[in-house]
Amino acid sequence: MAGKKDISIIIFPGSNCDRDLMVAINKCMGVMPKLVWHKTYHIKKTDMIFLPGGFSFGDYLRAGTIATKSPATKEIIRLSKKGVPIIGICNGFQILTECKLLDGALIKNFGQLFKCKETFLKVVNNKNKFLKNLNLNSILNFPIAHSQGNFHIDESGLKKLEDNNQIVFKYSSKLGKVDEFNNPNGSVKNIAGIINKEKNVLGLMPHPERAVEKNTSKDGIDFFKSIREII
Amino acid sequence: MIFRVYVNFKKGILDPEAEAIKQTITSMGYKPITNIVKGKFFDIEVDTNQDYFSQIEKISKDLLSNPVIENFKIIKK
Repeated sequence: MAGKKDISIIIFPGSNCDRDLMVAINKCMGVMPKLVWHKTYHIKKTDMIFLPGGFSFGDYLRAGTIATKSPATKEIIRLSKKGVPIIGICNGFQILTECKLLDGALIKNFGQLFKCKETFLKVVNNKNKFLKNLNLNSILNFPIAHSQGNFHIDESGLKKLEDNNQIVFKYSSKLGKVDEFNNPNGSVKNIAGIINKEKNVLGLMPHPERAVEKNTSKDGIDFFKSIREII
Repeated sequence: MIFRVYVNFKKGILDPEAEAIKQTITSMGYKPITNIVKGKFFDIEVDTNQDYFSQIEKISKDLLSNPVIENFKIIKK
């Protein structure tokens, strides 16, 4: 990372992970991000955009749906076409699927429970700029906290994701076993994170920003350091 | 003029809430009931003399439903 970089965090009414994300980015990437209110019509220069977790607009209608109509989201769509890296975490991932920057949809967890627990993620693909500095098949310990994190996509969509190397994280055991016992929410093929075809938009349900402190897992530090390299 | 837009999950989409409702109904003794499809509807009042169906259809596609997981149906009341 050379020179001064601008990182933006978009805040919607009901976002609640924006401050944690700001602290994590500052600590791990050495940049104090700008907090951008969702009513911003023009996002000037930015090198990377984060959409934080939370319950934007109270999860009304479907999680993430109302946020897709915010002026800032239209800017995100515009900037994504220019190749700006965009990362959505939890509710941010839901917003990215709802505005069609990422494929699939996030529906209610299997069993209908809100799941708040530590999970292990296997890096199943690192052939993209976000994760190229993480080892293939390495395991990251990030917590989840969601009720609508069950990733759904039809068979042809799943095949496209697989063929284009768009599936990047899968829920696994601590030792990397990907199976139904290590699937916290019923996601198709244990999918926890995907990227778009152009490989500049990443969405994941688990929270790397909650894994950077001394009393938590520190694997989030590796994640943020990896993406720091791309800007 | 009022349009009613019905939205429900496509076949095969997991709906744990509908499943819980079905199990409860079964436990109430209504054994022949084998499936429940849960949905929602929106009554949209429109103040115009022009036909507004295509606009309601666009709203249903763009906002009220997610075509990846849901179907919608519009009825003019």
